[in-house]
Order: sequence, then C-alpha cells, then structure tokens
Amino acid sequence: MDEPIDRQESLVTRIIDGSITIDSLKEFENLLKIFPDNPRLHRVFADFLAQKKPFDAVNAYEISANLFTKAGQTLQAIVSKIFEWRLAKPSHQEEQEFYADLHKGNSKEVPVQRFFAGLVFEQLIAFMNELTPRYIPEQTMMKKFGDRETHMSFVVSGALEQTTHHPLKKYEKVREKTKKDLIENDFFGEIYPFEEEKVSQTDIKTITRVELAEISKSMLTKICRQNPDVELLVDHLYLARLKSDEKEFAKIVRKTVRHQVPTQINLKVFQDHGDKAPLELSGFTNDISLGGASVVLGATYQVGHSFNLIGRNVKIQMCLPIESIVINMLGTIVWGKDVPLEGKTTTIVGIQFKEMTDIDRGLLKEYCYGSEGEQNLIWSLWGSLLEK
Amino acid sequence: MREEHNTDRKSPPQIWAIGGGKGGVGKSVVSAVLAFWLARMGKRTVLVDLDLGGANQHTLLGIKNPLKTLNDFITRKFSTLEDVCIDTEAQNLRLISGASDVLSLANPHFSQKVKLINHFSRIDADYVMLDLGAGTSFNVLDFFLAANKKIVVLTPEPTSIQNAYIFIRNAVYRRLSRLSSKTPSLQALIKTAMDPKNVLKIRTVKELLQFIEESGGKDVMEVLKKEIDNIRLTVITNMARDNKERNAGRIVQTVAEKYLTIQSTDLLSVSYDKQINAMVSDMVPLINLDQSSHAFADIYEIASKLL
Repeated sequence: MDEPIDRQESLVTRIIDGSITIDSLKEFENLLKIFPDNPRLHRVFADFLAQKKPFDAVNAYEISANLFTKAGQTLQAIVSKIFEWRLAKPSHQEEQEFYADLHKGNSKEVPVQRFFAGLVFEQLIAFMNELTPRYIPEQTMMKKFGDRETHMSFVVSGALEQTTHHPLKKYEKVREKTKKDLIENDFFGEIYPFEEEKVSQTDIKTITRVELAEISKSMLTKICRQNPDVELLVDHLYLARLKSDEKEFAKIVRKTVRHQVPTQINLKVFQDHGDKAPLELSGFTNDISLGGASVVLGATYQVGHSFNLIGRNVKIQMCLPIESIVINMLGTIVWGKDVPLEGKTTTIVGIQFKEMTDIDRGLLKEYCYGSEGEQNLIWSLWGSLLEK
Repeated sequence: MREEHNTDRKSPPQIWAIGGGKGGVGKSVVSAVLAFWLARMGKRTVLVDLDLGGANQHTLLGIKNPLKTLNDFITRKFSTLEDVCIDTEAQNLRLISGASDVLSLANPHFSQKVKLINHFSRIDADYVMLDLGAGTSFNVLDFFLAANKKIVVLTPEPTSIQNAYIFIRNAVYRRLSRLSSKTPSLQALIKTAMDPKNVLKIRTVKELLQFIEESGGKDVMEVLKKEIDNIRLTVITNMARDNKERNAGRIVQTVAEKYLTIQSTDLLSVSYDKQINAMVSDMVPLINLDQSSHAFADIYEIASKLL
C-alpha cells in the first residue's frame, strides 16, 4: 500500500467510510490541501462534487483514478474512471492512455487485480461499459440463501459478511454454516459456469457501507462469447477463489475495518489570544497513526461549533495502554465535526501531529505496530476466536 | 559460591527466556513457577531476574532483601554469575536477583550483552530461566533471541496479543539485522523495512524476503529465511478463563506464520487462578502455592512438555 495513504487514512477514515459526511466545499478543499495524495478522499470529494458541480467532478474523478492507479488499486481506479467517463465521454486516445497507465501500475497481488491485468484494451473497455458501481448502506442484506444468482459483484470498498449454508450431511438436522468477510478486491456471485442456473448458497450482508461494481450474468456471458480469452480469465478468477477458500483460516482472517483499542487523549487547545488560558479537553481515539488521530471528545464538553476548533494548535497527551506510557506532542486540529453520540452531541476532531521527540515517535511507531494487514488479521482472529 | 555446583559439570545449561512485550501479563509468575517445577523435577535451575525496570522475582520467591544482585556482577564486584546466585527455599532452585536500572541506563553494547549471555551459559545448572522485562528494547530482544527456548507469555486481551506479536516481530527484525551486520546494504534495507513509512512499501517480514528475492538476492533471502526458521517459539496464554480464551496464542501463531514466516510455534496455556493473584498482591511466596491450583498444575504440564 502506498505509504502516504496509509498515514493519512487515519485522519480521514471516518470521512471515507461514510460515517462522517462533509457538506461544505471549503471543508473538502482544506482537507485536500492537507491530504493531496489520498485517492479515497479525492473519490469522496468527486462524489460530492458530482451532486453540485458535475464539471468539476470530472477532474476530481480523474485525480482519484490516477492516484488509485499509482497505488496499484486497479479496481478502484477503474470505478473512478467509470464515473469520470459517465460525466465526460472519453476520446479513444484517453481510453488508451488510461489502459496504458493501468498496466504501468498494475499490481497482480490478488486474483481480481490479475483478472483486470489480463484484459486487453478492447476487453477492458467492454467490461467497463457494463460495470455498474453502487453504494450499499451498512447492515444491508444483499443476498439470501436461495436467491437466484444473477450478478457478479466486485467489492470496491467496505466489508461484507458472507454466511455459507453447507449441504446437510447424513444424520445432520441443521445445516452447518461458516462465515467469511469479503473486503475490497474480493468478489461474490456464483454465475460461472454460465450454462448453469444457480441459486445462492450464502447470505451476504454488508458490515460497513460498501461500494460494489457489478456486472450482470447476461452481459458477462455476452462479453465472454465475443472474447473467449475473457472467459478464461473469469475461470481463473473463480478457481483462485476456490483455492483461497480451501486454505485454513481463509474464512476468518480478513477484515477491512480498522480497529484499535481506545486510547485516552488529553488536549490543550490554544486560544487565538495569548492571554487566554488554553481550553482543556479530553476524549479518546480508536483511530491513530504516526501522522495523526481522530479524537472523539467527551460528550459533556461545550466547545461550540466544531469548526471553531479547526486550525488551532494543540498540545496532545496520549496515554498508551502499553506499559502505561504517556506521549506528549504538538499538533493542529485540521478538521472537526459535531456528531451525535450516546444521545448527546459531541465533537470529533482530526488532529495532525506536528512535533514529537524521537523517543515518543519510536513509542508511537511501536504502538501503531505493523502493517494494516497484520493488525486486521489479529483483530479478525480476535473476533472469530475469542470475542464473546 | 557453592562447591557442589562446580563438580561433574557436563554441558552448558539450557537457557529459557520468557518475554512478551506487555507488562502485567504474568511473565514473572510463569517464570517463577516454571523454574520451581523444573527444580522439583530434579533439574538444577537458576532463575535470572532480567526485568530491569521492575525486578520482583526475589519477592515472588520469598526473599525480602537479596544481598547480591546482577548489579554486583555487572559492576564487577563479583567475577562470576555463580557468585551472585542466591539459594531459595526450594531445593535445586537458585535466583539471580534483578539489578534495577543498571543495564537500561548503561545501554550496553551488543558485545557486552553477548558476554553476559556467555556468562549465563557458564552457570553450573541444568536450566537457566531468564525473566525478561516488558517492552521490546534491544536488551530484551537480544536476551530473548540468545535463549535455547523462546517463550512468549500473553493474556487473552487485545493489547496483550498485539504486544506479544510486536515483540515477536521486533525479535525477528532484530535477528535479521544482527545477521546482516557485516553487510551494511542489507542491514540498511532491513532497517528501512522496519520503518512503517518506508518508501519501498515493505510492510512485513514476508514482503521483505520477497523484495530481496525479487531484487536478485535469492541466496540472501534463503539465508534470512533459514534464520527465521530457526526461531522456534513457545507461546503461553496466561490467565485463560475458558477454552475460548486459550485461543489467544493461536492468534499470534497465525499472524506470525503469515507475516513473519515463522513456521514453528508451540501453544500452551495457563488457567486463570485468583489464588495466584492474591498471593502476588499479598507478597506471599509463590512456592507456598497450594499445589491443587489449576495454574500450578498447568505450569507443571508446560514444564514437562518443554523438557
């Protein structure tokens, strides 16, 4: 994963996952000045603009697609491009340029990426023309056991839970069920082999808000008939998933939602006028990185509108649960949002860290431990094996 | 020095190190009871309190004021570790009491730690049990890596699991870094990989090995991989209240296998025992523990399996 994305995600995760909605152009512009390289933020911004200033949205989708391409996130780049081209029909040259860019930065880490990497130019364009992106709210039942399989759905972002109902074995009265999380770059929909009419053996429900890119069975069949190579790629895609499912723990190891243990944070917010005492606030964060944190302030604080806090310098005291360590650092509040929490209104602020000692940086690095994959796996296993 | 320990010496002792990253997971209690059981099984055992920030083994073993500590050896008041061993009430069990702050303040060079580890190997005993401190400082990691048996203790809590994993991850990086100390470019690469912000986008040990292999260093990668393969871990889930909680170690095992390519991890567990908590709080020596205690029995099983 691209490093800046990793770092910046901690500050803008809530905006990207849809749990916070930004409704001001200026707020977005400020955020993008601070996080210019985050493709997901550009994508959210583009979606925002598409409602208000479609012409400007074209540019935002293009930036998002370019950044996704550079980060090797092929599916996400394709979806941004689909939206861009819906607003402004591309020339043949633009299509070719996108194809070339996509192949330059093509990552082949996961089967879906290998699938897209295998498409030649005409096949990719044909596929994109039939691919329909859509957002699904969290906790939505997408598909139930017994539903007819009509689409293939690629997960662009978010997480879903797939519950598979296994066939009844001899002497069994109840079907065995297994659960698996589907995350970005996974896919679902049993539409292959095309000759077979299948009904779903699974329930699929969204965990978070999810963006899917879907293609109907009939359209995919049509493309494959015209391009037998594509059918081969589809075959490989299903085969790769089958192999992955067979691996031990495959059903429990992945989860996209970034979890963290709540960490207590004390803030001293400095006022504009030096003679005023700093505002002392405390709260918690469950979203923290070396670059910053989003902090949920206690619901009892009367800080007024959150935007009053934006741009203020803060002294941050972070109480890490690891061996009762306290880290002190300086930062700036870069965004704020008033949100309902436990029946009251509270404020979430995004803080960008500015200064900390090398020792504190080392401690924080240790606290933020490892890659997202390592963290997610630990939490996924925790949820599967230990959580009661 | 006890003369009887200087006779009939056949081979250096087996060194067991107990670490785990997070404080309060019961490393000291597990070390003490494990050492106690080894001693009861007739193995001459020395428990070394390397918890330099909070040495407490003497209290757990019922020794109020240890007259000699590791500090006395480090400051050369005594010339051998044998000289600073203290007898305990348990037969076959001796203690080297912790020396608060000395190593952590002095931040000894790696070679000094190697010397200390060599001295551990010269102790006249069958087993030397190192109770490491919390955290993942180089001091802790180097002693952990030097041990014949590398034991990680954790509790069924998210922070403990995460810390245990990070402890292992840092130990792997430390081992690779030491291994590559004579190859500056490789060492620089490993250090780069440890930085979460590295431009090479290497996020895990597995990716580091892949990167080295893809960069034409298949032989180097194989050497590093072999070194990791030699890291055989024992993960003990302490304070498990039920069978589900005993899975905590399995999480670390799975993540370490996937991202650190550690193939060999033994999983063991110790039941939660409020009697032990009460004894530690009341500063009652653990060797007085009622032997019907589940935790006590579990650690006996562990000692038997690890021998």
